[in-house]
Amino acid sequence: MSAMRGTLELARAYLLQTMRSRSALIWTLLFPQVWLFLFALIYRNVPGGMSARMPGLFTITAFSGAFFGVAYTMVTERENGILRRIWVTPATATTVVVANAMRSLVTVAASLLMQGLIAWFALDVDFGPAVWRVVIVLAFGVWAFIPLGLIMGSTAKDMRSAPAVGNMIFFPLIFLSGAALPSDMLPGWLQSFSRMLPTTYLVQALEGVMVRGEGLTLQALPLAVMLISGFVAFGLNRLLFRWESTQPLGAKRVGAVLGGLALLYVVVALLT
Amino acid sequence: MSIRTRRLTKTYGATEALRGIDLDIEPGGIIGLLGPNGAGKTTLVEILEGLRDPTAGEVSVMGFDPMRDSIALRQHIGAQLQATHIPDELTAFEVLRLFAAFYERSLPVDEILERVNLAGKARELTRNLSGGQKQRLAIGMALIHDPDLLIFDEPTSGLDPAARRQLHEIILELKGRGRTILFTTHYIEEAEKLCDRVIILNRGRVVADGTPLDLIGLSEGKSTIFLDVEGPFDPAPLLAVGAEEQERRGSHYHFVAADPTAVIVALGEVLRSQPVTLTDMNMHRPTLEDFYLEIVDDPEGADPEADDSEAAERAAASDAEATSEEPGP
Repeated sequence: MSAMRGTLELARAYLLQTMRSRSALIWTLLFPQVWLFLFALIYRNVPGGMSARMPGLFTITAFSGAFFGVAYTMVTERENGILRRIWVTPATATTVVVANAMRSLVTVAASLLMQGLIAWFALDVDFGPAVWRVVIVLAFGVWAFIPLGLIMGSTAKDMRSAPAVGNMIFFPLIFLSGAALPSDMLPGWLQSFSRMLPTTYLVQALEGVMVRGEGLTLQALPLAVMLISGFVAFGLNRLLFRWESTQPLGAKRVGAVLGGLALLYVVVALLT
Repeated sequence: MSIRTRRLTKTYGATEALRGIDLDIEPGGIIGLLGPNGAGKTTLVEILEGLRDPTAGEVSVMGFDPMRDSIALRQHIGAQLQATHIPDELTAFEVLRLFAAFYERSLPVDEILERVNLAGKARELTRNLSGGQKQRLAIGMALIHDPDLLIFDEPTSGLDPAARRQLHEIILELKGRGRTILFTTHYIEEAEKLCDRVIILNRGRVVADGTPLDLIGLSEGKSTIFLDVEGPFDPAPLLAVGAEEQERRGSHYHFVAADPTAVIVALGEVLRSQPVTLTDMNMHRPTLEDFYLEIVDDPEGADPEADDSEAAERAAASDAEATSEEPGP
C-alpha cells in the first residue's frame, strides 16, 4: 500500500517540479512546436505535405520527450543526492523508476497533445479516420522509449556526459528511422539497419493509421515489437539502476544490457 | 538493543575504513560519534542505515540486519545524510508529504513542521529556505514516520550559532520523547553539551566510549586557575599542593594544577594567613576537547577526503569502472 502511495506521490512531486521549472516547460511543451513549424515550412510543397510527415514528427516528439526526460531526471537526481535520500526510506528502485516513467508519460502526452492540436487546427493536418488509433500507437511508442531513457539515465556518469551520450543515441534513431527524413531517401543497407531501431516501428505504425488509414490489426507487427521492446528494456534496466553515482555499474551488467538490447533488435530485424 | 555490532569491518580496496567495531547502544538518549576526518564515522552510520555492505562482522539495528532487511529496517529508523539535496521546486510541506508517503505510517505533516519550527515556511519553495531551515527540514524528513532510532550525520555542520542552537533544541526534545539519537559531529563542545554517551573513532577503531564526564575524567590535562590579588602575595602554599605557576603579570597570576580542589583549599588558607585580597578568580577544568586531542593521534585526519565513505566508495567505483566499458550508445 505504501509502495503504491509512495510511487504516486513521487510521480506527483516530479510533475510539480516540471511545472514549476521554466526551462522544463520550454523544452517539454514549446520546443516540439518549433519542430512542428519547421517541418511545416520544409514539407509544405512535398506531396502529402505535413500530413505525410506528421508520423515522423510525432515520433521525434515522443522519443525526445520520453528518452531525454527520463534520462536527465535520473542523472540529475542521482548526482545531486535526491535519490540517495530516497534510498534511506523504504522506497524501492521500482518506486523511483515507475514514478519517473509516469511523469514522463504525462509530460510527453501533454507535448504530443499540444502538437497534435496545433497541427490539426493551424496546419490542417489529417490524422486519418480514427484519432484514437493514433493515441494507442503513440502509447506503444512511449512504452518502448521510456525504458531506453532509464537505461541511458542509469549508465550516464553525470550531467556533463549525459547529453553527449544521449545525442549519440538520439540522432541515429531519429534520422535512420524515417522520422526526420523519408526512409526511402536512405540507401538500401541503411534501410535494413533501420529495422533494428525501435523508432522505425513507431513511424511505420503511425504512417499506417494516419497516412494510409489502416486499422490497428494491420499494425500488429510494429506494435508487438514496441510492446516487447518495452518489456525487455524495463527488465534490463533493473540490472543497471543506481542510487548514487559511486555505485559501480560493472562491465558484466552493462554488457548484458547492451547485448540483450542488441540481440532483441537483431532478432526483430530478421523477423520483419 | 537499538544497535549492536561485532567485529564490524569495512575496507575500500587497500583502505581499512572500519577495523573491528564492537558497539552496544541501548534505546534512549543521545549518542555522539566523534573522530577526525577519515576515522570511519560516515562509513559506520551508512552501514547502520543499510547503504553500505560491511566487509566482515555482524551488525543489527533495531533487531534487523541492515543489508538483508533494509526495507523493513527503514520503517524504524530516521536518517539525515551528511549532504542532502532537497528538491528545489517543492515547498517544505510538499517535501514532507512526499517522504511521508514512503512509510506505512506517518505523522501529520503540520505536526512535523511545528516540531522543526518551519510552520511559517510550509508553503515556501525549499530553494528559498536558509541553510538552517533546510537542515531543519532534513531533520523533519527523518522524523516524519516517528522512528525510534534517528541517525544524523553532521546535522549542524556549516550552520551559524543560532541555527545550531535551534537544532540542539530539536535533538533534546527528541530525547525527551524517548528516542535514540546517534549523531556524528566535528563540534566537540556540541557533543559535550548534548550527549549522554560519546564514542570516539580513530583510524577505524573505537578509542574511547563513555559519558562526557567520564571521558573528561580520563584526561591527563590540568585545570587552569587565574587569580587577581592585591597585596604581597606568596604563592608557596599553592605550589606546595602541586600548582605550577605559568605566568605572573603585576597582580595577575596564572597556575595549572592536576588537583584544582587542593589548590582552592590552599588558596583559602593563603587568604586567611596573608594580608592579601582576592579581587578575581577563574578556573577552567579540562574539556572533552582536551581529552579528544590527547586520544586522537591526528586530529585533522590523515586524509580530509576520506572523511565520508563516499570518497572512498568513489575511488573504489572508479577502479571498478576502469575495468568496464563506458556504457554508451
